[in-house]
Amino acid sequence: MRPVDIIGVGITNFGKHIEKSLVELGGKVAVEALKDAGVKPSQINAGFFANMQAGSLFSDFTIGQNVFYQAGINSVPVFNVENACTSGSSAFNLAWMGVASGAYDMAMVLGAEKLIIPNLGLMQAGTSELDTLEGMVVPNAFAMRANLHMATYGTTKEQLAMVSVKNRRHASMNPLAQFRNPITVEEVLNAPMIADPLTRLSCCPNADGAAALVLCASELSGRYTSKPIRVAGSVLVSGSYKNPCNLAQWEADKRASSIAYEMAGLGPEDLDAVECHDAFTISEILHYEGLGLCPEGEGGRFIESGATTLGGKIPVNLSGGLLSKGHPLGATAVAQIIEGVRQLRGEAGSLQVDGAKVFMAECMGADKAGDVKTCSVNIITK
Amino acid sequence: MNNDLKPVMEGIFEAGPSPQLIGAICPECQQKFFPKPMVCPQCLGEVQDIKLSPVGKLYTYAILRTKAMYKLPQPYAVGWVDLEADGLRIFTLLDPEKIEDLDFGKKVFLRVGPIGVDNNGEACLRYYFTTQDGGDK
Repeated sequence: MRPVDIIGVGITNFGKHIEKSLVELGGKVAVEALKDAGVKPSQINAGFFANMQAGSLFSDFTIGQNVFYQAGINSVPVFNVENACTSGSSAFNLAWMGVASGAYDMAMVLGAEKLIIPNLGLMQAGTSELDTLEGMVVPNAFAMRANLHMATYGTTKEQLAMVSVKNRRHASMNPLAQFRNPITVEEVLNAPMIADPLTRLSCCPNADGAAALVLCASELSGRYTSKPIRVAGSVLVSGSYKNPCNLAQWEADKRASSIAYEMAGLGPEDLDAVECHDAFTISEILHYEGLGLCPEGEGGRFIESGATTLGGKIPVNLSGGLLSKGHPLGATAVAQIIEGVRQLRGEAGSLQVDGAKVFMAECMGADKAGDVKTCSVNIITK
Repeated sequence: MNNDLKPVMEGIFEAGPSPQLIGAICPECQQKFFPKPMVCPQCLGEVQDIKLSPVGKLYTYAILRTKAMYKLPQPYAVGWVDLEADGLRIFTLLDPEKIEDLDFGKKVFLRVGPIGVDNNGEACLRYYFTTQDGGDK
């Protein structure tokens, strides 16, 4: 395997894009990423397109070809990837493998999703699953984890709410985030209850959005950019589905991050910033522990200490996270990596972590047997 | 109980006054499963049907307050229950009428009853656990 760099990125704001189709959103960021990388469409040797819901919402399929077509990318292999919330990081992992292996010199990863549609309803794990038929929808899957974490480790409702408050404070400095007004712990706790203890402000909103990046073999990237960002570790795992399951810890996070740390030759103490899958407040608390940012059971006290806010020991979700940006499923995990590219290039404006050199993006998707179906960890460095 | 209703999924429980969930055991690995897998995922051997314990202990739970799928009551509760006799932790709907009684480690009892609709929108039987001991409701 040879080293791989990120040499170009393109991203929309996350929020309502009522007037634009999925293909238009995708096309826009494809063009932007090509221009940012300074490469021609004909230099892209493969395209990896991530989307989760267009098949069921719009009866649309093999969308990647339509998206890449708009940016002049044709003739080369195009792969359409669906892997729940990790669709984007799964596409990234495949593209990284393709370039690292030498099969391609340059590849584009692009995630796009449209979820702002009437009566979308709650996400669930598939209507053929017994768990879904017995009442499992995503919010109560996470509320069960939150309740157990509180009972086991003494985590409080206030500590959970602090995740929303902290991420919204970060979002107030990110012009691409959907919700940018600061909120208080009281406002989070008093918002309409979805699944105790998770209120509407503890759950990520829906969004439309798209994000793209260009991967290039490191030996070639110097031709296109003076600020290549190295992919130091790229990992995708599935759940182990052990019974009895442990709903107070995420074994998949531990497994994926330990492989990624080993690939990168780095540890949690080396990270300058992290984006993680904060679909719900409890998720971010569990990720602190799963990724080794704090000891098991300490996630609630860790957020309260201020360690994960801008200026803290290890800032998490400086973009505002999914709680503020919204969660356009296919685009989400690509956008997380782009946040890291911005930090490592020193282009993060008022959210910049001084001297940031190492960044981690973690994403996770879909429930099965009290475990997650998919978990990704990517570490990028400058 | 309304006996002409279909189960929410075929082959997962026996209804009646003393309902039981139908799981499986691998005779080689002695591992139990619910629901029944196609083969044992550890040794790929055939599995055999078994009836699971109708009594469990509540591991964790959650109450959904928003509008529900499958015309489930609003609010309703779900949880993971430890069937200690079988060494299994299973996901289940919880008795919508006993939401206020839920607590960690609480003893719960299996029931089967008409709750909500299935994927075709038809009323159906679901299994659930309740904190209320004894007898059919």
